[in-house]
Amino acid sequence: MAEQYKTLHSAKYYRDYLKNDIRPDCRQLSAFRPVIINVDSIKTADGSAIVKIGRTTVVCGIKAEICRPKPETPRQGFLVPNVDLPPLCSSKFKSGPPSDQAQVLTQIIADILENSRCINLEQLCIFPDKIAWCLYADIICLDYDGSLIDACALALISCLKVVTLPEVEYDPGLDKQQVNLEKRSPLNISCTFVATTFAIFDDKLILSDPSSEEENLSAGTLTVVTSDEELCYMHKPGGSPLNEEQITKFISICFFKLSVILRNIATY
Amino acid sequence: MPIDHKRINGPEESVPYELFARLSGITSEKTFEETQSANIRTDGRKFDEQRKIFLKNGVVSQAKGSAYMEMGQTKVMVSVFDPREIPNRSDYSLKGEIYCEFKFAPFSCPKRRLHQQDNEEKQYSSIMKKALESTVCLHELPNFQVDIYALVLHNDGSALSAAINAAGVALAEAGVPIYDIVASVTVGVQQGINFLDPTLSEEQMCQTQLTTEKFPNPNHAVVIISKLPMQQQLCQFHQTGYMSLDQLKSALELLTKTCETIVPLVQKCLLSLVTNSIKP
Amino acid sequence: MKVDHLICLPGERLSICNKTYTSGQGTYERQGYIYSTLAGIVDVVDKDGVKVIEVHSSGQQTIIPTQGDIVTAQVYIITQQYAKCFIKCIGNTVLRNPFKAVVRRENVRATEKDKVEIYKSFRPGDIILARVLPITEAHMYQLSTAENELGVVIAHSEHGYPMVPISWTEMQCPKSLVKEPRKVAKSTKKKYKFEK
Repeated sequence: MAEQYKTLHSAKYYRDYLKNDIRPDCRQLSAFRPVIINVDSIKTADGSAIVKIGRTTVVCGIKAEICRPKPETPRQGFLVPNVDLPPLCSSKFKSGPPSDQAQVLTQIIADILENSRCINLEQLCIFPDKIAWCLYADIICLDYDGSLIDACALALISCLKVVTLPEVEYDPGLDKQQVNLEKRSPLNISCTFVATTFAIFDDKLILSDPSSEEENLSAGTLTVVTSDEELCYMHKPGGSPLNEEQITKFISICFFKLSVILRNIATY
Repeated sequence: MPIDHKRINGPEESVPYELFARLSGITSEKTFEETQSANIRTDGRKFDEQRKIFLKNGVVSQAKGSAYMEMGQTKVMVSVFDPREIPNRSDYSLKGEIYCEFKFAPFSCPKRRLHQQDNEEKQYSSIMKKALESTVCLHELPNFQVDIYALVLHNDGSALSAAINAAGVALAEAGVPIYDIVASVTVGVQQGINFLDPTLSEEQMCQTQLTTEKFPNPNHAVVIISKLPMQQQLCQFHQTGYMSLDQLKSALELLTKTCETIVPLVQKCLLSLVTNSIKP
Repeated sequence: MKVDHLICLPGERLSICNKTYTSGQGTYERQGYIYSTLAGIVDVVDKDGVKVIEVHSSGQQTIIPTQGDIVTAQVYIITQQYAKCFIKCIGNTVLRNPFKAVVRRENVRATEKDKVEIYKSFRPGDIILARVLPITEAHMYQLSTAENELGVVIAHSEHGYPMVPISWTEMQCPKSLVKEPRKVAKSTKKKYKFEK
């Protein structure tokens, strides 16, 4: 009976719950779902991380290849993030080229990466103008249950922290390179970013870390990305207006969440 | 290659760093010789020993049925969705259809995979489709299509078998009518030796023909079978390479025996699914 | 609530197939035996002395609409000739994937069929109860609301408030008191199950 009511009258179903300050999954309005991070379980990748936020599951794998730097930036390597939303993760997506949503997510993740300046691309250069690393970071969603930006960002940063690259010796005279697979070293990551998503329900109720159902029913969402001390990205699609006070409040919540996550990341 | 405007593209050309590694001199021939003389495989298994299997259902909350399978290092996820009307069809068909998509994650193999489905993935999709077509009661789903998606997160050999096994569990969880559960096993053959449940390097070794002077036996093949265990029927058979009929016979015997060992795992998984649903 | 459940798995042999035992829902017959096609619970139904063996799947069942089923559907497009809708529930089972269906003008009500106007019967967004008609064309289920108990059960007024039925052809918005025409379902106690 409850299930029929939910399908036919989903907005009202939610409103009845939210009136009592509780969500259908038994969370408080401002509660986050538990986060699980698992790193380096995929040995074929140079670094990998699996992140679960509630039921949302995202895997990120980084594979390094060798390439030539761009002539305009001879001292830099590449970091190429791509988000994939395969039909496997939800019935919303169909097979074929990336959906609009996947393209938007890819761009958001690329922007966050650039704004946060967490990785200096110069460390990916092996010899200026000749040879550099190209890191392909592929982020794949395995289970789509909302707050995907949070999960993707967390997977990417966790993955970057565990990537190791083999040592390369380059002889500019002979234009020959040799890779020493035995000796691997990690990257230098200068900061950690954490994304936090809120859904704005009925113009006034704020739900933290929304599930996909909550995202669908809400008029808009707000995603704030913070890195160590600063704000590095904010994204607010949708119509519900917010005032300055509310936004400042969200940002402070994000910093709190960042500190919690940082403590957890530090343990591996 | 045309530029993919829907993704972020890296540099025009990049190559795997393993190409420049100091040559370790490991060739298929050498590995085989070592394995043969030691009479034990590189990972310490006997020739007819399987790797450890982990099987879990209900991993994707958004799908009707889903399963995750690990065979040693190989990790595969499969999800099954509700039957839907066959798209782009105007006539009515009495039988249902199956749509299978098999994909390797870009980072799942030693060499980076591209985002588009390549020929190998297309071939695997079609093998998987054939295996499952004879498993699902298609006459009970007239004019409907069941979508099955498989994603390999880590390929260390026998990925297709793992995907078919997981698909069987996912179909049962989704409540799609099936004649029987499916059990699938891979074997690699090199010379007279059957490598049960091969790893990726063993698979590669079994696909290369060794020099004929040293190794006169021309047998080298990879065989994948899927069985409906209760009905004692073979629902899919795929073989690449060359092998004599005698060798095939011994390989098939081994495969049939191993399929039986997968059945209890699948049964256990489905049993807990049903018992959990009964408990309030 | 039954205490002891008989659990079966796909492909499991359940019984011999003869005059007393026949294969029902969730099973198939092969070479004189009945086998299960689902992972679920075995149920034996006695039907005129013949025992029909059925298997009921655990969790949600995979079902498709068949002729005569009562379904709950949501209207999304109306034209002069028909109203298109999505089937959301079959009986009491909620569907994950809605099926497309259509209510033609002549199937809206039982009387004065030629005077029916779709826009006076349904509006997009309405939840209706309907019966599935025989399938004549692929890809589209035909529905009928030509019974007293069938028709609109939930509708919202132009201002977005849920309306209450006041006759079998009209519903009223409790806030603005505007009356809107609908083909209203006669409310028995059962039909009210979705209202609060």
